[in-house]
This record gives sequence, structure tokens and C-alpha cells, in this order.
Amino acid sequence: MKMEEMSLSGLDNSKLEAIAQEIYADLVEDSCLGFCFEVHRAVKCGYFFLDDTDPDSMKDFEIVDQPGLDIFGQVFNQWKSKECVCPNCSRSIAASRFAPHLEKCLGMGRNSSRIANRRIANSNNMNKSESDQEDNDDINDNDWSYGSEKKAKKRKSDKLWYLPFQNPNSPRRSKSLKHKNGELSNSDPFKYNNSTGISYETLGPEELRSLLTTLIFLFQQCGVISEHTKKMCTRSLRCPQHTDEQRRTVRIYFLGPSAVLPEVESSLDNDSFDMTDSQALISRLQWDGSSDLSPSDSGSSKTSENQGWGLGTNSSESRKTKKKKSHLSLVGTASSLGSNKKKKPKPPAPPTPSIYDDIN
Amino acid sequence: MCKDYVYDKDIEQIAKEEQGEALKLQASTSTEVSHQQCSGPGLGEKYPTWETTKPELELLGHPRRRRIASSFTIGLRGLINLGNTCFMNCIVQALTHTPILRDFFLSDRHSCEMPSPELCLVCEMSSLFRELYSGNPSPHVPYKLLHLVWIHARHLAGYRQQDAHEFLIAALDVLHRHCKGDDVGKAANNPNHCNCIIDQIFTGGLHTDVTCQACHGVSTTIDPCWDISLDLPGSCTSFWPMSPGRESSVNGESHIPGITTLTDCLRRFTRPEHLGSSAKIKCGSCQSYQESTKQLTMNKLPVVACFHFKRFEHSAKQRRKITTYISFPLELDMTPFMASSKESRMNGQLQLPTSSGNDENKYSLFAVVNHQGTLESGHYTSFIRHHKDQWFKCDDAVITKASIKDVLDSEGYLLFYHKQVLEHESEKVKEMNTQAY
Repeated sequence: MKMEEMSLSGLDNSKLEAIAQEIYADLVEDSCLGFCFEVHRAVKCGYFFLDDTDPDSMKDFEIVDQPGLDIFGQVFNQWKSKECVCPNCSRSIAASRFAPHLEKCLGMGRNSSRIANRRIANSNNMNKSESDQEDNDDINDNDWSYGSEKKAKKRKSDKLWYLPFQNPNSPRRSKSLKHKNGELSNSDPFKYNNSTGISYETLGPEELRSLLTTLIFLFQQCGVISEHTKKMCTRSLRCPQHTDEQRRTVRIYFLGPSAVLPEVESSLDNDSFDMTDSQALISRLQWDGSSDLSPSDSGSSKTSENQGWGLGTNSSESRKTKKKKSHLSLVGTASSLGSNKKKKPKPPAPPTPSIYDDIN
Repeated sequence: MCKDYVYDKDIEQIAKEEQGEALKLQASTSTEVSHQQCSGPGLGEKYPTWETTKPELELLGHPRRRRIASSFTIGLRGLINLGNTCFMNCIVQALTHTPILRDFFLSDRHSCEMPSPELCLVCEMSSLFRELYSGNPSPHVPYKLLHLVWIHARHLAGYRQQDAHEFLIAALDVLHRHCKGDDVGKAANNPNHCNCIIDQIFTGGLHTDVTCQACHGVSTTIDPCWDISLDLPGSCTSFWPMSPGRESSVNGESHIPGITTLTDCLRRFTRPEHLGSSAKIKCGSCQSYQESTKQLTMNKLPVVACFHFKRFEHSAKQRRKITTYISFPLELDMTPFMASSKESRMNGQLQLPTSSGNDENKYSLFAVVNHQGTLESGHYTSFIRHHKDQWFKCDDAVITKASIKDVLDSEGYLLFYHKQVLEHESEKVKEMNTQAY
């Protein structure tokens, strides 16, 4: 249609309308075409439906606003069972108890330094042997356990520590001891039904070491065995929780009837029996070989102590026995040192070298 | 031939490149920029609309697609109390809902340069953001965070109740130290001006003027600060007398006679303080010991301003908690407290912000940490703002919806405000800042 050739006035309404319609269509087309192309392109390239969402799964995330429920629609206070793994000791801890556990685990708690010092004392005595001794204060604290790299499982050393007191079914315990002083086997201050005491033939070096540690402790610590935990009390010799009678009983149990409780007054002297001495004793214990040991060298009183231990006292017995005997005599020496201390300072050194002379 | 329009990728790519070339020519020859091709002034680049590529389509074409709506729980998650760690949980909630920090961590901007990444607190923060924005409804156990904080901030280690503000400062300090890998370029040359994300967000400049009364010489120092600690009325330090009506409604706080507002506290903080004769300072210009006036103002405002009400009083006489209610606003204008506003302050007037005034000092509240209880034992909870204008109460593992009224009626211990407008720092301003520090 050639617009320029016509004049509008000459047209009738229908033609005018047709023209208007066409102009209108052009305008609409112009404005829509761009949009149409966009949609067409979106469909063709595959991103037209990208905006769609899934209404059902949208509902999962709606905020809940009702009393008694949190925004997720959960009831309060149901998170008591949450657990986490301690980064220091790799144990699984209840989440709400994690902070107190971590404090002790990292050695920052109230008791931690005391426990650590004890641990150091233990490990000096026992070298590589692991010790899980816990202070009586911590008995109720279930979170704490020593050993950053170790898994929390009962180790053999635990059993060693409790060896004389627990585990009634242990094969060792079934071997009864020959006691010259018979009453010892019957007197059971700790209320154990099976035979008390230890059969030394079957003890290995590690076990003896732990035993020795026990003995060392008896010079410095209360040592009374707790009914509940079957462990020795590590408080001082003046521990108020236990009586002297109890302490004496423990010492007799270990050291024989002639063992004497280090008196409180002379506890100062006991302190002078310091760790270096005990360490000297222990280090000398490291020797593997056995050699003959004449009981007479230990002194007659000690011989009777040996007998009190219930080991075979004949010197004609096997090497193995003698080896154990020598250990014992060391022990006997130790106890005699204790008793020496009681009287008044007789330096502990002299008896010791005499024994070792024989050993070496 | 279906006569349909066809879109060919290669031809389109060629077309895009050619168009880009044409635009560069156009930009250099004329100032008129065509409407469709939006290029910035001075730039010859075209910014096309993003269209998905085929691999992206596959990723995005998940049938159970969800778009985050403002009614969604995504971004909210409870935190288990590990044993008196409510103070830590509140600070974590506040930090993870700091918009600019959230943007930084969710776009994975941290590159770890610590010798052992498992000890990096920033990496742990990154992981924390991922956990809290995962949409998981079960509360998170922040045990790793606790462990790392105890390792790196020894003074906080220990199982006991602690102060949330102290924790905040220690956490920011450790984060700042561990941010070594994220230095955003230019300021790396200047060791005094750290450009880590923590400093960019939280560090403000406190401007101290000491005026010698004799010669009126002013000595100025600018110290970096991460927070502003405000004294409260009723403490053993004397408080500014309550001003009549008008000035307290500066920030839109509802002024009720007798109620102290945050603005009151800030006014007191920035007032000229006459240091008595017992505290004479040696003046640099007149070289004599003179009485002086000290005034604190803000030199540089941080992106996130943290206000700390000194509610725990440890004076020689007593140790107690000040529970006075302080009214704080949703929107805060810091202009009156800037160093540049000192002139009008000297005249005793508080400069009222004009309505057409610049927005660069305007802040919005986004997190409030509250303490209930006594000095010896108490519990921390927090209110955080999410989805722009919804508020939620975070009480350890339990998150519930809260109203704005709940938030503004709460006692308030730590208040977190976020700048409303973030502007680019011009190079000149950056230079000035480095000199000041």
C-alpha cells in the first residue's frame, strides 16, 4: 500500500481501520518479537525450564514458627546423645561433656598437673611399661584417661597392676603358695576368696617390675587397697582415709611378716629415700642373666623373709627359681632398707652393693 | 527445512568476539554508548547475559530443584553446648551471619598458607560456614573449633564460664593471624596495614586528641580497634547526664525519659574529657606538664561495628553485673561520632544527620548477644538477622523465630552493626590510611 499516494480523508472507515490494524500489528510485533526470540532461544538451548523448582521439596525447608518447636519443627532438648571424637586422644566423647574432657586431655585441668607428676614418677620406675594409675580423686571422673596416642582399651598392664588383687580366675592364682607361715595364705585382709599371694615362678620381668613399683610405693604412699577399685591408695603415708593398721597389713602382704610400716615421724627419713635410689635399684634389675645367689648373703633375716614369700628356699633349686629369688632378695633388701630407716639412719647403700657383688 | 530459527554455538561465539571488538572501537571514538550494550565508562568490554553451557545444564537440571526463599531455614542451624560454651556459640552465630564475612567464606576465598591446615582457624571457619548453611536441621557440634581456639589462645583454654566479648576479640585475633594467604594484593607491601578479611571488615580507627590546656596544641593518635567498649550509667565511672529529648532521638530510638540509649553511650564515649591535675601530660609543643583534655572519635569506620556494653564491673569495691536496660536502634548513623564532626561537638551540639546526608556512615543491626544471670554464672543467647528482615533467637541448639520487638527489648551486651553501603576505597584514601597506622 502506498501511503503517500493516498490522502486519509478520502478513505472510508473500513480502510482506515485496516490501516490502523496493520500499524497496531506492526507495533505489537516489534515489541513482542524480541521476547519471542528470547523464549525460542531459551527453549532451543535448553535453559527455559531452569527456573522451575520442585514445590514438594521446597516445603522441607520452610521455617516453622510454633511454640515448643524450633524452626525445623523439632522438639527442644533432644540432643543429649550427640557425640564427637576428641582430636587429642581420638576417643568418642558425649558432646555436652567435651569441654571438660578436653581440658583434662590437654593437661589443663585442676588435677592434671598432679596426675602428670605421678605419671612421670611411674614411667621412671617402669620405663616403657604403660601405667594407667589413677588418682583416687579421679575415680568418679569417667572422662579422664591417660594416653594421648593410645586407644582406650584395657591393657595388659592394667591387669598387671591388679595382679595380686583381682582376677580370681587367673591361672597364676590357682597355684597356691607354700607358706611356711601358713596364716598368711588364710588371712585375706582384702576379702578375696581364692588363694592370696603370688606365684613367682610364672611372673615375667614386666610383672616383676610392676611389683617392684608397688613396693617402691609402699615407702612413700599409703598403699591401702581400695575395696571399690582394687587399687592402691596413692595418697601420702598420713592419708586420712586409711588407718595405719590397714597400711601395715598391705606391707605385710607384700613384704612378709617382718615388714614394718614406715613410721610417720620418720617419714622425713623416708623422703630421703629418694627416687634416685629406687631408680638405681630398678636399673640394676634390668639384667637378664641369672646367677647364683646365696641366700646367706642377704642376711639371715632376709632369708626368713624369703621363706615368708613362699618361694622355694632351697638353693639347690633351678636357676629359674634362683633368678626369682634374687629379685626377691632385692625386694627383701628394699624392705630391710625400710626397716632400717625406721630405726635411724643407717645408710641404705652398704647392703645393696653386697648383693650386687654376687650378682655381677 | 522446518523454517525454524537455529542457534549455532560457533557462529555465536564468533559474533560475540566481533561485537566486542566493535564496541572497543566505538568506546574509543564516541562517548555515546548504545543502550543495549552496557559498558562502563572507560571500559570497552561488553557484559553479555549469562547463558548456560551444556555441562552446566546437566548440573542445574536436577528434578528436585529448590530456590532459596525468604521462608527457608537454610543458613540457620543450632550449635551444641560442649559444656559452658554458650559464649562461643553466640559469637559463632554472630560471625556466620555477618553478611560480608558470609560472602567471603561461601565463595571459598580463603587459601590456606599455614604449615598444617588442620590447625588453621580460618579453614575451620570455612568449614563452619559450610556446615551452618547446609540446611541440616540437626545441630552442629563445634568441637574442632573449641580445640583450635584453646590451642591458639591459651588464655581462654579451660572448662569454665567465659566472657563472650573476650572470646570475640581472641577469635578475631587468631583469624587475623591465620589469614596470611588471603592478602588482597596491594597492601602486601605495607606490613603495618594488614589487608586480611578480618581487618577489612572489623578494624576501625580510633582517633584520640589530647589538647594541651596551656597552648592548645593538639596531639593526635589513631589506634586500630575491633570494637567499642561503652561504659554504662550506674557503673562506678560517672556517666554523662541525660540530655533533654531532642538529641536522643537522633537515631530514631524511641526516647523515653529515663532510658539510656546507645546514642547516649556513644556521646559519652566521644565527649571531651578533662584529665585532672593528677594526670598532667607533657605537651610536645610547649614542653611543659599541663592539664589536658582528651577526646575520642572515630577516624575510620569499620564495615562491621561491634559495640560492647561494659556490664561486668570488677572494681575494687565490688564485682557485679549492671543490668540497666539500654535502648538501641535498628539503624544507626555514626556521623556525629566521627572525627570530622568534632567542630560541632565543641559547640555542645550534636550534629543531627541530615536526611539527604551521605549514607556511608549508616549502619544496620544484624546480631545481638545477650547475657542472662549473674557475674558468676549465667547463660548467653543471641538474636541474629537472616533473610534481610527476619530475626531468630539462637539458644545453643535451639533456634526459634523472634520478633523485632523481642530483639530491641532485650538487655543487650554485644551489638553488631553492618554498614549499609559498601563503597570502593579510592587509592588516595587507602594511602592515607596506611600512613595513619
